[in-house]
Amino acid sequence: MTDLIHRAQAGDEEAFHALYRAHVGRVYALCLRLTGRRDEAEERVQDVFVRAWRKLGSFRGESAFSTWLHRVAVNVVLSDRRDALRRRLRVESVPDPAALERPGRTASEGLGLDLERAIAALPDGAREVFVLYDVEGYTHGEIARQCGVAEGTSKAQLFRARRLLREMLGR
Amino acid sequence: MTDHERDDFGDLRRDVERLPKSIEPPRDLWPDIAARLATAGRRRAWRPLVWLPALAAAAGVVVLLLGRARAPAVEVSVLAGRPQRGGAPITGRTTLRAGERLSTDDSSRAHLQLSIGEVDVEGGTRLRVLAVRRREQRFALERGTISARVSAPPRVFVVETPSAVATDLGCAYTLAVDSVGNGVLRVTAGIVAFGSPGRVAFVPLGATVPTHAGRGPGVPYVDDAAPALRRALERVDSAPGDRTALAAALAAARADDGLSLWHLVARVDEAWRGAVFDRLAQLVPAPLGVTREGVVRLDRRMLDAWWNYLPRTVWRVGF
Repeated sequence: MTDLIHRAQAGDEEAFHALYRAHVGRVYALCLRLTGRRDEAEERVQDVFVRAWRKLGSFRGESAFSTWLHRVAVNVVLSDRRDALRRRLRVESVPDPAALERPGRTASEGLGLDLERAIAALPDGAREVFVLYDVEGYTHGEIARQCGVAEGTSKAQLFRARRLLREMLGR
Repeated sequence: MTDHERDDFGDLRRDVERLPKSIEPPRDLWPDIAARLATAGRRRAWRPLVWLPALAAAAGVVVLLLGRARAPAVEVSVLAGRPQRGGAPITGRTTLRAGERLSTDDSSRAHLQLSIGEVDVEGGTRLRVLAVRRREQRFALERGTISARVSAPPRVFVVETPSAVATDLGCAYTLAVDSVGNGVLRVTAGIVAFGSPGRVAFVPLGATVPTHAGRGPGVPYVDDAAPALRRALERVDSAPGDRTALAAALAAARADDGLSLWHLVARVDEAWRGAVFDRLAQLVPAPLGVTREGVVRLDRRMLDAWWNYLPRTVWRVGF
């Protein structure tokens, strides 16, 4: 793996392709759960590896490559979310604030059984915190820094996500 | 978050721990990434950055135009020997259109360039072009072997064989058919739906499925499945009432063979589906809401939900 990284850092695309093959499953799983949408996850995976290619020179081996790539992936997805939110806020108001409390999609309609689908159906903010905290093992402090929110907000979102998941799973 | 609150959600956290850490994308994303790397290279001072966007846009237009120009026909190039198009030898490069047949003898090979990918045609093959449209590129493999690498939306690239139809869901695979219509499909990227009337096999990368004339696709297995399991699956497929073979298959299966057991559920008599459920649940715990009763009655939603938890499968939604 180290040899592949060195070769990729030197501009060897074949080596980078090998790194892609080794890590794409983990990156896709993360993007899929953070976005809740397959098409969006595919786009973010592409963004992640393009960003990784650009930034590969800054990888010094101080952490595992998989850990570094994971951070790149989280940054890519969250920054895309922030950009999209900024664009939306410029043109939309929220007439019904309570709508933000309800599941954002109906991915679980008629099913309500599958945890993956239930996660995908969470509102964006709650889903991101849930995935980062409960699935990926981030702390609230790390999530707060990544998402640009207060730690208390992260905790509240986590509680909301868990509660919504329970409702969706019929417990 | 207090410990008390954590304990309130203990059941949820246990389910989360069982989620797969890795999920293969439903299609190969590398071609798109590779195309972007060419323009996303690490910046150097001398690069004419001002011109890059314009050059990239121009290149995109050229690629688009070339793709459109190529769509109605398949480009054929000779890799070895003298392949034939409609009985006439091919030299160099030519095109194949709908209705035409490409044949190779034992010493010849050919390469097909499609707008959505490429196909290598091995020796001793007869391949007919059924349709070449932007949204459907359909072939009939009458006999022989092809290796396909496709990057297209699901269901665009389709290959018919005498016993089953391979529908690409974003993948690479090798498909071989013998002179009586039996064959084998091995998938090396993505996932393929391999079906005949009444039965379908979903074959993810790293898995293989045999197919038989008059019966259709058998039960897929991962490439390192034990020979004993493969033999037992073959016997169950040919004689669904062979209880001894079923018992042998269940005994030989590992968690990594969940793919095979998942397919077996629908291939055995209803009276024995419960036994398959029990063994699969032992190896790959059923996700929330997937019940024995539902699986025995072949509840599609439950089976689909379970699929996404099987080791070595590809995330599959909506097909």
